[in-house]
Amino acid sequence: MATAANKSTAPAPHDVDLLIEEYGYDDHFHEHHEGDKYQSNFFTTYIFSQDHKMIARQFLITGMFWAVIGGLMSLVFRLQLGFPEESLAWLRPLLGKWITINAETGVGTLAPEFYYALVTMHGTIIVFFVLTAGLSGTFSNLLIPLMVGARDMASPFLNMLSYWFFFLAGVVMFFSLFLNTGPFAGGWTAYPPLSALPQASSGSAGGMTLWLISLTFFVVSVLLGGINYITTILNLRTKGMNMWRLPLPIWAFFVTAVLGLLSFPVLVSGFFLLIFDRTLGTSFFLNEIFIGGQALDYVGGSPILYQHLFWFLGHPEVYIIILPAMGIVSEVLSVHSRKPIFGYKAMVYSILAIGFLSFIVWAHHMFMSGVNPFISNFFVVFTLIIAVPSAVKVFNWITTIYGGNIRYTSAALFGVGFVSMFISGGLTGIFLGNSAIDIQMHDTYFVVAHFHIVMGVAAFFGMFAGVYHWFPKMFGRFMNETLGKIHFWGTLIGAYAIFWPMHYLGMAGVPRRYYRFDNFDTFSHFSAMNQFITIAAVLVFAVQVVFIVNFFRSIWFGRKMTTRNPYGANTLEWTTPVDVPHGNWPGKIPTVQRWAYDYAKAGEENISQIIPLAEGEHDQGH
Amino acid sequence: MAQLDYAEAKKVVLKGLLILGVVTMGEVFVALFGNGHIIHGFYLHKIVFYPVMIVLSLYKAYFIVYEFMHMRYEVKGLAMSVLLPTLLLVWAIIAFFQEGNSWHNRRELIKQKDQESVHSQPAPETGMLDDGRTYQIQ
Amino acid sequence: MATDTALEHNADVQDGNLWEGGKAPFKASYGKLMMWYFLLSDAFTFAGFLISYGALRFSMPTWPVPDFVFKTAPFGVENAPLIFVTFMTFVLIVSSVTMVRAVQEGHRENKGGAVFWLLMTIIGGATFLSSQAWEWNNLIGKEGMSVTTNPFSNFDEGGKYLSAEELEKAGFQKVETESHGAAATYFLHPHAADVPDNRFFVKADHHGHSLAGKEFSAGNHYLITYNHSTHLYEHGAYLAESGQIKKEEFGPRAFGALFFFITGFHGFHVFSGVLFLTIIAVNVASGLYVKRRNGYEMVEKMGLYWHFVDLVWVFVFLVFYLL
Repeated sequence: MATAANKSTAPAPHDVDLLIEEYGYDDHFHEHHEGDKYQSNFFTTYIFSQDHKMIARQFLITGMFWAVIGGLMSLVFRLQLGFPEESLAWLRPLLGKWITINAETGVGTLAPEFYYALVTMHGTIIVFFVLTAGLSGTFSNLLIPLMVGARDMASPFLNMLSYWFFFLAGVVMFFSLFLNTGPFAGGWTAYPPLSALPQASSGSAGGMTLWLISLTFFVVSVLLGGINYITTILNLRTKGMNMWRLPLPIWAFFVTAVLGLLSFPVLVSGFFLLIFDRTLGTSFFLNEIFIGGQALDYVGGSPILYQHLFWFLGHPEVYIIILPAMGIVSEVLSVHSRKPIFGYKAMVYSILAIGFLSFIVWAHHMFMSGVNPFISNFFVVFTLIIAVPSAVKVFNWITTIYGGNIRYTSAALFGVGFVSMFISGGLTGIFLGNSAIDIQMHDTYFVVAHFHIVMGVAAFFGMFAGVYHWFPKMFGRFMNETLGKIHFWGTLIGAYAIFWPMHYLGMAGVPRRYYRFDNFDTFSHFSAMNQFITIAAVLVFAVQVVFIVNFFRSIWFGRKMTTRNPYGANTLEWTTPVDVPHGNWPGKIPTVQRWAYDYAKAGEENISQIIPLAEGEHDQGH
Repeated sequence: MAQLDYAEAKKVVLKGLLILGVVTMGEVFVALFGNGHIIHGFYLHKIVFYPVMIVLSLYKAYFIVYEFMHMRYEVKGLAMSVLLPTLLLVWAIIAFFQEGNSWHNRRELIKQKDQESVHSQPAPETGMLDDGRTYQIQ
Repeated sequence: MATDTALEHNADVQDGNLWEGGKAPFKASYGKLMMWYFLLSDAFTFAGFLISYGALRFSMPTWPVPDFVFKTAPFGVENAPLIFVTFMTFVLIVSSVTMVRAVQEGHRENKGGAVFWLLMTIIGGATFLSSQAWEWNNLIGKEGMSVTTNPFSNFDEGGKYLSAEELEKAGFQKVETESHGAAATYFLHPHAADVPDNRFFVKADHHGHSLAGKEFSAGNHYLITYNHSTHLYEHGAYLAESGQIKKEEFGPRAFGALFFFITGFHGFHVFSGVLFLTIIAVNVASGLYVKRRNGYEMVEKMGLYWHFVDLVWVFVFLVFYLL
């Protein structure tokens, strides 16, 4: 950036309202919409709202509900893994018949089938409902119109439908938890034959049917949302907001939406074929198979075909989860270190590169499932290339905060925590991407540690960073910083305490998804480590309770936001009034005069996007 | 946008009907000709037959998208934003078909192996003792 | 970096200022963009199906020959390979053409014209659906194909069909039995248990004419006759070149399942297209779009969807009927 604007021509601080009045443009929005049907009564304001900010809040709170459920499930199976000898009889009021109580000793044991159901549901819920809908649904809805300078989404109605399809998916999944035969128990990837044969296990019957219905609704939700996000970003950018002036979260949400749009339909085609196998006796995914000594009438299909279809979604899905977190963290780190993001264009290009690569690497999830080793070679190469754009992003985050005037707010801490987690988890990804090493590592706790750190915890950290950062925008109040810092340190240390030891378990060959390890002498010396992991998990969950209390308490009792731009951020969402009205800006829509990252420029701490370029000033966004 | 006027557009429609009709006729003709329905006992080799069919169909697809769906008259960016993502399918097609082929080969291999008979005489067991001497158990 | 941005700047200028914000960069309304991107995602759904079809087909040693499977047409036409499906394809192409005309009339805001051509399109769609109904009915009801059974297959070596006398001479025992109230005659290997897998029939065509003595070579295709009175698949017995007496086997089961599944999914798209077309025709006729700011754009979006259905058919036609 050779251009240093002359200090004398640097723009003076301006009053936002005056700037919008002077440079904004009038779309006559409020003449059309004043007192309109959108926000007129309780139902249209809070339930069937078509306002993107309300839909974002709905997504967030529904996502938190599911996060609690998914987290509690993980605690139950962690208790089983850490303390297989202890009695779980106290869980009987909650889990009912899934805890069998020995009549003599009074010791309660978790039913093995339910252990698998818990693992399956934990994965499904966290991956789809929390980290897809809860993360990208929340922040795409909240930030896209606000940051690009639009009144609302392109189609508020489809946006509302998107939430309600998600809600419906949640309702169906929730029902499946209470089935007599239990929810689906064949792993969140739902591989056939466990998913294709209703008689294969207790969860494969009704549980799997509801699982399929639920996720089909979910895909409809993702598609409706994704089409909306894409068209909004393309068509509804305000004047002056060219693509190189978009804040990075918007780029991330854009690519995320494209990934969802292209990959979820393929999952649906796999689901439909699976439904046919389950109901009409076709053999798409089934070959000669015996159950209970009885030969079934299936021939010619291949379970690996399902795995290919699933992972054609599944791998982009990983980036659907992590990209929004990356975008949010880029913005948060830049704002809170008072420095422009380092290498904006490199960030954009690496998002695009990751998006592209995510479509050609899917079979690296299947190295050991019987794919042809010849084709695996290509997948190894493509997979390892992903390390390049990922490394570019990590480098840029670190150089962004390097030498910055960092404010250690909870949001910034979570941003840094994200980078730490992403590095730790990303490095083990390079191990697992090699098919030769994967022969040893696959299906062990090494894999569990890898993906939990890199896309589970890291994505949660991005989400927390976003929640702490934009909470004032959502609810007009701040979250409590002290509780936020307790939350951060507890989660950071706790998450490493949970997942770091798992690497050692994995390298020793401890397989994932096992109910207990009593029968394997070789793993017996890991029982202390398993206990440690379980205790850490309980503590981390307790820390999340702090977050939830903080969240809901702050909605009503938090410190009020008094100025419209409390962080001194440049992006457009901070030019809206403290109480953001329907349509986001009370009068004209602001126009954008510069890129989103003019921090520490020309002697100013930050220069909002709506402030015109000074004479001779060079804009990075061109 | 290079929109056509009404009379021209009507002509394009007729032309489209003609082109699609002729290409489809061509496809069916090649299918029948290649499979020995027209000259009895004459078969086109798959190496010729498949590419001809695929190219003709791709031409039809191109024509439908570019003329009927008006892609030709849209901004180039729109066309690219819709068409380029479909290139992702190329690698998917290669990988999936290669997989299908490998399932076939492996099933054949299993069939072959199933027919192999096993040596009824167990092989002599050999090994090395701690002091370096070898032994053989008959 | 500075030079980079300068170059970018020039590129932007050349592009015109469409991307500067406040404008639709593709000169298309968000509604039309949404339709395009919906179609793109739907294309990936179909791609998922068709690529699965390809993978399964590559994994099979044999595959039914389309011009043998699809050789009948209504009104008792037999041995007319691919003729009926060519007709169906034409119907779909013509309906696409009428849809283009409807969109053009919509552009001219000619209400009558738009309604007329929309109705033509609806008729085309309905004709296609009826044809598909006939085709399915014929395959299921007459030929005995289903999602789990594929009676179409290929011989892996040459041979000739055997008559009852030849089978008996070779030591097969003749069994006369009754199935679902109709008489059935089949042959069993000497000492073979009487299970469906061991039953050999004397090959007859749909009209009951015996094919005994008919010769064929490797790669020839055959149809296992489904007997509608006995509800049995009659696997014909033949003498192979190797000298063994063999029984016709079913073809790869995936064929029937994939055929009904993929053409059914396409048919479902046609069906919902006809529904939407009807709604839009009613809306056009009621003058709803005259008042709208974007006029007849709904007709245009519907047109995109309808052409997409035609586009998918190009590939369904290619992989099921031509290759």
